[in-house]
Amino acid sequence: MSEVENTVRDVLRDVLGLSEDRVATFDAETPLFGALPELDSLAVAGVLTEMEDRLGILIEDDEVDGEMLESFGALTRFATQKALG
Amino acid sequence: MIEPYDWAGGREAMLRFGPGSGPVVVAALPLFEEANRTRAFVVSILRALAEQGIAGVLPELPGTGDSLVPTDRIAISDLRAAFAAAARTAGKRAYSLALRSGALLDGTVVIRRRWHFAPQTGAELFRALQRLHRADDMPGYGGHRLPDAFLEELPECHIEAARTVRLDTDLRPCDHAVPGTALWRQPEPENDLVLAALLADDIAAWVRACEA
Repeated sequence: MSEVENTVRDVLRDVLGLSEDRVATFDAETPLFGALPELDSLAVAGVLTEMEDRLGILIEDDEVDGEMLESFGALTRFATQKALG
Repeated sequence: MIEPYDWAGGREAMLRFGPGSGPVVVAALPLFEEANRTRAFVVSILRALAEQGIAGVLPELPGTGDSLVPTDRIAISDLRAAFAAAARTAGKRAYSLALRSGALLDGTVVIRRRWHFAPQTGAELFRALQRLHRADDMPGYGGHRLPDAFLEELPECHIEAARTVRLDTDLRPCDHAVPGTALWRQPEPENDLVLAALLADDIAAWVRACEA
């Protein structure tokens, strides 16, 4: 499991108030936006800001779309590309 | 114990813990809603420090918390001036303990040394506020009306050199990493007494080393 994937998992746990056990079950296919009631538009703002802080990346508004937030795998792929270039 | 302190713009209150003499740790909460999520946590750290014989104060700053100054008149220069006045009132050997964006406020010469936990830069806070502004259906920034001058100044705000502690999930460089959760991001205010004790131990050892 990559360091970036762990960071994304921790961010979702912290921002959405999910349990450690719950986020531990997340895999690439786990749906996020639309499937997690905790993930409303304000929570999305918190998730993106915390990912920026912890990974030292910048996320522009036009990069944020439904596809990127569709699943845990998609969000992790996006974060990995951003963090590792 | 609640005590008043005076700064150039008026009078505010501060919570005081521990002995009435010796070194004193002056705490700066993060700005805006992160303050609500971390207030009890910072009080826990100050109580743990008091048990180790180190005094601490938590000032309300103008435009935050219970201050009567409304957020639409908040100004970085006032926050900094009030923090400096609180530190001067608290004692002669003052050290700062700043969380997140509180690290923007402790640049005063009154402070001997600085200790920061998960510091957030002005540019990072500015981006977070902008994102909140766009995501929220309400006017303002997460329920706060903020003056333009504040928002213009924020990205350029400087953070002074400090002993920097971060959560071990944060990949950026720091002096010390600790396990725990990011309370400032929790949807509801929570406390973490284990983390508070860990940080209090680090601060106590650091203050003693600075005083030696």
